[in-house]
Amino acid sequence: MKAELHEVSVKFGPFCAVNNVSLSFLPGEIHALVGENGAGKSTAMSVLFGLNNDYEGKILINDTHKNWCSPADAISAGIGMVHQHFMLQETMSVLENVILCSEPLSKFGFVNFNLATINVQSLISKYDLKIDLTQKISHLSVGQRQAVEILKLLYRNSQLLILDEPTAVLTPSEKHALFLTLSNFKLSQKSIILITHKIDEVMMIADRVSVMRDGKLISSKLLQHTSKDAIQENIIGGKLPKPIKRKKHNPRNIGLELQRIVIPGIATRNEPVSLQVRLGEIVGIAGVSGNGQAPLVEAIIGLRNTISGNIILNDRYITGKEVWERRQLGLTYVPEDRQRVGLALDASVCENACISQIDNQEFSNGFILKLGNIGRFTKKLINNFDIRVESASAKVRTMSGGNKQKLVVARELNQKKPVVIVENPTWGVDIGAINKIHKELIVMRDAGHAILLVSNELEEIMGLSDHIHVMSDGQLSKPLKSAEVTVKKLGDLMLTQNENHPSQKSRN
Amino acid sequence: MAVFGSHFTGSAMWGTLSAVCGGVFMAILFAEFHLRRPGDPIVVSIAINLIALGLSTYLLRAIFKVSGVFQSHNIDKISLVNIPLLEKIPFLGPFISGQSLLFYISLVLVIFAHFFFKFHQLGLWFRAAGENKLALEASGVNSKKIQFLALILCGVLCGLGGAQLSISNVGLFVENMSAGRGWIAVVIVLVTAGRALPLLGLVFLFGSVDSVALRIQGLGLPQQFTEMMPYLASLIALIFVCYRKLKFETNTQGKRNV
Repeated sequence: MKAELHEVSVKFGPFCAVNNVSLSFLPGEIHALVGENGAGKSTAMSVLFGLNNDYEGKILINDTHKNWCSPADAISAGIGMVHQHFMLQETMSVLENVILCSEPLSKFGFVNFNLATINVQSLISKYDLKIDLTQKISHLSVGQRQAVEILKLLYRNSQLLILDEPTAVLTPSEKHALFLTLSNFKLSQKSIILITHKIDEVMMIADRVSVMRDGKLISSKLLQHTSKDAIQENIIGGKLPKPIKRKKHNPRNIGLELQRIVIPGIATRNEPVSLQVRLGEIVGIAGVSGNGQAPLVEAIIGLRNTISGNIILNDRYITGKEVWERRQLGLTYVPEDRQRVGLALDASVCENACISQIDNQEFSNGFILKLGNIGRFTKKLINNFDIRVESASAKVRTMSGGNKQKLVVARELNQKKPVVIVENPTWGVDIGAINKIHKELIVMRDAGHAILLVSNELEEIMGLSDHIHVMSDGQLSKPLKSAEVTVKKLGDLMLTQNENHPSQKSRN
Repeated sequence: MAVFGSHFTGSAMWGTLSAVCGGVFMAILFAEFHLRRPGDPIVVSIAINLIALGLSTYLLRAIFKVSGVFQSHNIDKISLVNIPLLEKIPFLGPFISGQSLLFYISLVLVIFAHFFFKFHQLGLWFRAAGENKLALEASGVNSKKIQFLALILCGVLCGLGGAQLSISNVGLFVENMSAGRGWIAVVIVLVTAGRALPLLGLVFLFGSVDSVALRIQGLGLPQQFTEMMPYLASLIALIFVCYRKLKFETNTQGKRNV
C-alpha cells in the first residue's frame, strides 16, 4: 500500500507543529522519520493515523484522497500504529488483546475463540514470532508486549505499520528480533514507518530517511544517498558538536561504596549487591529498565530501606540515614522521573532551582527566603546550562522535556557534592540537551567527583563511563573496563543471569 | 423507588420496574458528570450516594408525609418461589427454596456474567474500557459509549438490588435502609477484582455474617457489636486485599517498571 501526506500542516493555536510537510511511504520500504523532540514527527503521524483531524492538506492512500474521522477509519484502510506507550490490557490474555475490537463472532455476539486462535496462530508461524497466546500481559516482558502490539496490527491486516520509538525499551537482542520481524514485513510488501531518534538504528535498517525539524521536512532521501553525519546535522540544524574531551582516568579515594547490601523487592532474587565508585570516575550501570536499577538507586539515596549490608559515603556509614542526611554528607541525585520526582511542575523555576538547598544560608535566614538571591542564582543556572524558559518565575510545567531535565541536572550538579547519582539523564531529551548534559557530567568527573550513571542507553553508558556494571535480575556483573567492552558483550550480560555464581559476583 | 411503585400500582412487578428506572436514572446522572463532564468518578459517586440518601428521605416526607419508616398495605411484595423437591432437603432446603424470584434471577445473572465477561464481545469491551480505555480507543471503539452502556446495566442491577431489599424482604421503606451495604458491595468487587464466581462466594459469606449478626442479637450480645459485624468483615477483607496487592507489587516491581 502506498500512503502519502500531501502538504500537511497542523497548527496548535499560533504554533505550527507541522508545516507544509509532504511525505510518501512505499510498499516494501522501511521509512525512518527522525528529528528531535517536538520536531513534529509524532504529530504528522497522528494525522496519518486519524488521531488528529484538525489539519490542512491531504492524505492519499493508493493515490485516492481520504478523510479520516477517527483511527477506526485509518485502521480499516490498513494503517496500524504501535504507540510508544503500549495500548494493552494488563489483565487480559495475549489472545484477547490481539483480537480485541475485531473479534470473530459466533451466535449472539459471543466470541469464537477457536477460530481466533487458529487465525492468530497462523500469523505467528508466518512471521516467526515468539508469543504464547494464553499468557497474561502482566506476565510479559517489554519486548514480548511489543510483539503483541505488532501481532495486533498483523491480525487487522495492516499494510502500513507506524512504529513510534519502538526500540526505546528493548534489550539489544530484542531489538535484533524486532528488526528481523520488520525485514520479514518488508518482504511481504508492507510499508513500515519508524519514528526514532537513534541514528544508528536508522543506518542499520532503514531504506529511506526523512528528517524533520521545527515542524518542517528538512530532507527525505534514500539511505544510500545520505550519510550519518548529514542526517545528524539536518536534525540539529547546524554542525555537529565536537566530541567531548576528557582527562585521563585518574581515580582517587572511594566516594561511594556498597558492601553486600540486600534490597527488598529488587528482583525475583534478593542477592547482595556490591559496588565501588571512586572520586574522579564515572561508573555506569547498564541494563534493561526494570532489572532492579530503580530499587538500587532508591536504596543508595535513602528512599528504600536495605535489609543488610553497608552503604559508605566518603568513609562514613550512611546506611539507615534519612535522605536529607545523606545529601548533607555529600550526595546529589538526578532522578529518572523528572515529572514526578525531580520537579514540582506547578512551582516556578526559581522554587525548583533551590528546592533541595533551601536551608542554605544563601537562600534563607532560617525564617524568611532571600528571594533576590534565589532569583540571581536561578538566572545563573539558566545561563550556565542554556535552559530555555520564559522567565525565572515561569511554571516548570510550561517547559519542554529537555529543558526540564537540564534544570534538574543543573540544580543537582551545581551543588558540587562529591558523589553524584544520575539515573537515565537523557531519557526523552533531544540531541542538543543530551550533549550539554553529557558534557557537564564529564566536567564533574574531571573535577574529581564520583559519578554513578544508571542508564538504559548503551551508547551513553559506553561513551561516558570508566567502568561498567551490567544489572540483570537484581544482580550486578563484575566491573568491566569500558575501553574493553563491546555492545555484544554487554547485551549478553543483560540476558544471562547466571553467568557467574552470584556470590562470586558480589565480591568484586 | 420500589416501595413507591409498588405502593401506587399495587403490583410488585411495577414496583421492581420503577426501582430499575431509579437505578438507571442514577446511572445517567453518574454518566453525565463522569463521562460527558470531566468529573472524578470517586467524587461523583460519593455525591450521588449522598444525594440518594437525602433525596429518599426528602421524598418520603414530601410524598407520604411520614418520616423514618413508611409502611402500607398497598405494597405488594415480590412473591416467594417454592421449589417442590429441593425444599425437602434437610438443612439446605429452606436456603435453596422459598426465596424471592429476584434471588434466583440474581444467581442466574452471576453465572451469565461469568460467561459474558469471558466469552462475549461486549464483555471483553467492558473489561477493556474499565482497564485501559485508551487502548480501546486506539482500536477504533468509542470507549465512552461502552462505559455508558456498562453504567446503564449497572443501574438496572442496582435497581434490582434495591427492590430485593425493600419490597421482597420486608415490604417497607426505612430511611438509609441499605445502611452501607452498597459499600460492602464495593469492597466485594474490589476483593474479587470483578470476577463473577469468586464474587458470588464472597457475597454469600458477607450475607451469612449479616444474618448471623441479626440472629445472635438474641443471645444477649450488644446490638452495636452485632451491627458492626458486616463492616468488620469487610475491613478484614480490605486488609487482605491490601496485603495481597503489596505482595504483588514487590514481586513484580522488576517487570512492571516500564
